[in-house]
Amino acid sequence: MSIARAERLAARPWAARLVKPEALTGYGLISPAVFLMLVLLAYPFVLAVSISLTDRVLGEPGKFVWLENFLKLLQDSLFRQTVWNSFVYTISTVFLKLVLGIILALLLNQEMPYRNLVRGALLLPWIVPTSLSVLTWLWMFDSLFSVVNYILLGLGLISKKIPWLGDPFWAMVSVIIVNTWRGLPFFAVSILAGLMTIPRELYEAAETDGARAPRQFWHITLPLLQPVIAVVVLFSTIWTFADFQIVYILTHGGPINATQIFATMAYDVALVAGRIGEGSAISLFLFPALLVVIILLLRYLRRE
Amino acid sequence: MRKMKQGLVHSRGDGRISRRAFIGVTAGATAALSFGTFIRSGLGAAKVNVLTWSNTLRAMDDVLREQAKQYTKEKGVEVSFEFINQTDLPAKTAAAVESGAGPDIITLWSDGPHLHAKALVDVDDVTASLGKELKGWTNIGKDIAIVGKNWKAVPWGIIPIALTYREDWLKEVGYSTFPDTWDELLAASKKLKDKGHPVGFSLGRAIGDGNQFHYPLLWAFGGAEAKKDGKTVAINSPETAKAVDYRRKLYQAGETEDVFAWDDAANNRAFLAGAVSVTVNAASIYWAAKKDAPPLREVTNHSFFPKGPAGRFGYSTAISLGIFKFSKAQKEAKAFIKWLLEPKQYSAWMGIGEGMMAGLLNYYEDDPVWKKDPKLEVIRQIPKYVRMPGYPAPPSRPAAEAMIKFVIVNMFARAAKGMATAETIKIAEQELKEVYGKA
Repeated sequence: MSIARAERLAARPWAARLVKPEALTGYGLISPAVFLMLVLLAYPFVLAVSISLTDRVLGEPGKFVWLENFLKLLQDSLFRQTVWNSFVYTISTVFLKLVLGIILALLLNQEMPYRNLVRGALLLPWIVPTSLSVLTWLWMFDSLFSVVNYILLGLGLISKKIPWLGDPFWAMVSVIIVNTWRGLPFFAVSILAGLMTIPRELYEAAETDGARAPRQFWHITLPLLQPVIAVVVLFSTIWTFADFQIVYILTHGGPINATQIFATMAYDVALVAGRIGEGSAISLFLFPALLVVIILLLRYLRRE
Repeated sequence: MRKMKQGLVHSRGDGRISRRAFIGVTAGATAALSFGTFIRSGLGAAKVNVLTWSNTLRAMDDVLREQAKQYTKEKGVEVSFEFINQTDLPAKTAAAVESGAGPDIITLWSDGPHLHAKALVDVDDVTASLGKELKGWTNIGKDIAIVGKNWKAVPWGIIPIALTYREDWLKEVGYSTFPDTWDELLAASKKLKDKGHPVGFSLGRAIGDGNQFHYPLLWAFGGAEAKKDGKTVAINSPETAKAVDYRRKLYQAGETEDVFAWDDAANNRAFLAGAVSVTVNAASIYWAAKKDAPPLREVTNHSFFPKGPAGRFGYSTAISLGIFKFSKAQKEAKAFIKWLLEPKQYSAWMGIGEGMMAGLLNYYEDDPVWKKDPKLEVIRQIPKYVRMPGYPAPPSRPAAEAMIKFVIVNMFARAAKGMATAETIKIAEQELKEVYGKA
């Protein structure tokens, strides 16, 4: 600050306090970020919440109905099935991704030839646009031309073809498989990063004390991985509850609504049938529950 | 390069652009650019944007592209088509209706004019003059486009849905013509499956084929999802029960469990691969066989839906062209739609589809395309039997929602999976009440 300017400001203390140039610059610098957050995150969210409290249909303003949409949904048999499906889908995929992710990360943490190449290749399912890779899966599960059935039959593992997308049970299995396949790299890579930060000395000390690999894993690896695991599980849970593409492309929620989940049902109700008030309510239904989970997890992480 | 930069913005002297200068220049450029666009859109001649589906038959879209160019040349009004995936159309329409911005003309699916009536301008003048010139509108045209008293869209065409079947395999089991009643179809299906040629009608998430087969089946037995008032749910009836029983038998006798997995494209593939003998479809299988499997085309034919105790029915998707109220080129849009439906243009478009699309003006029943191939005669007559979901009530939001939720298809699917008739109807009734209760 120039001396002349400092003198000018000293002459007007209140103004100086209010508009400290540093503070002003500070606000100026974060304002684009705040602006972006408001426009891109807060506005759509507030809008969605406000729409979900109306009985709005496409092209008509609708009126305010408080929580009626949410209460009606609780009575709706299709919605109850959707809630159930969403939980089955999310819990089983997150569990599978976590277990397989840890195993994969442990394997990749070993010394082996072309390790970096393998680690890079691992990310492929995550890099390919979901809609494209799911279309490939659609072909692999095709009722007539399924290559998966072809191989399983050829190996003699099954005696008649599996109706992958045609049976309520197998359809759920199919979407779970594809979601696990697609989300596994995120788990594996994140956990691998966590593994690499664990100091070698801890294992050396444990070895000296006579602890074998399983005990080392249980008492060293797992506790030290906990923060990483908490974060990936949190993210993955949110993403999976909000998943749309995999189910929409593979089964479109069928057969007989066996794989209908929040996002696909919200899409059908809001955009195709035009009931956007109710559609918003469907997509926001889990928000309060997820919010609680997020707060608890973040608190836990801060304590760590 | 360095010189240029220095000339353009205040340089810091070391050849790098200062942050402030960078922001200033980019902001200025953006403003100038957007102002330019604004000027052009505000002052230029009216332009008509049409948002439509990309047809399974690309050749039909090419005709439209050519016609748009021709129109611009002849009338001096710029017209452009944007083709998007059929399944994306609802979302795009919703976005346009909500935001009040988008194309001038929108392609509406069967119940679209009813669902979006408030966002569309009346087009009575266009339909009246077209009707006068071209022998009037078909009933189905009126059903989809008249909302209350006004025409909310101009019916553009219908995609006639027929049963597509293998003549050679039916002959093998003793049928020289296609079974005329649902009961005869059941008997034939059993014989066909025993010979290794199952029939196949989607019980999965095929929004087109699944609904197009099962609504007519329900109606043919006298069942209906709602009464004529469009409010009272009426699915729980002895007639529906007969239809459901029938569907279970048909599945057990003539189909494989593949049908539960089928989307709209799967049955086409299965038919072309020789895996099914009878399926439900537009003329697109027949069309595709021309290129991919000419010998198959020889033995492929079309049939009406069979007759039931209550008569013969069909459900085909009809499309219409609506003009948004927010459009600044309403007059131009109307003129273009009228031109597009006049014989010279329309026949060229419909003709190249060879049965994929039929006109909704009576005049087009005698279009030369129908005389091209005797196997298209059935397709020509299909629209006579067509009703829309919600029948006997007019198309409505609840009827549309029931369809997108697959209430009717799933009712039949549960029965085919083995659920008791009364139970599956009860679930459907509950779902319908939830949907109709909101109206």
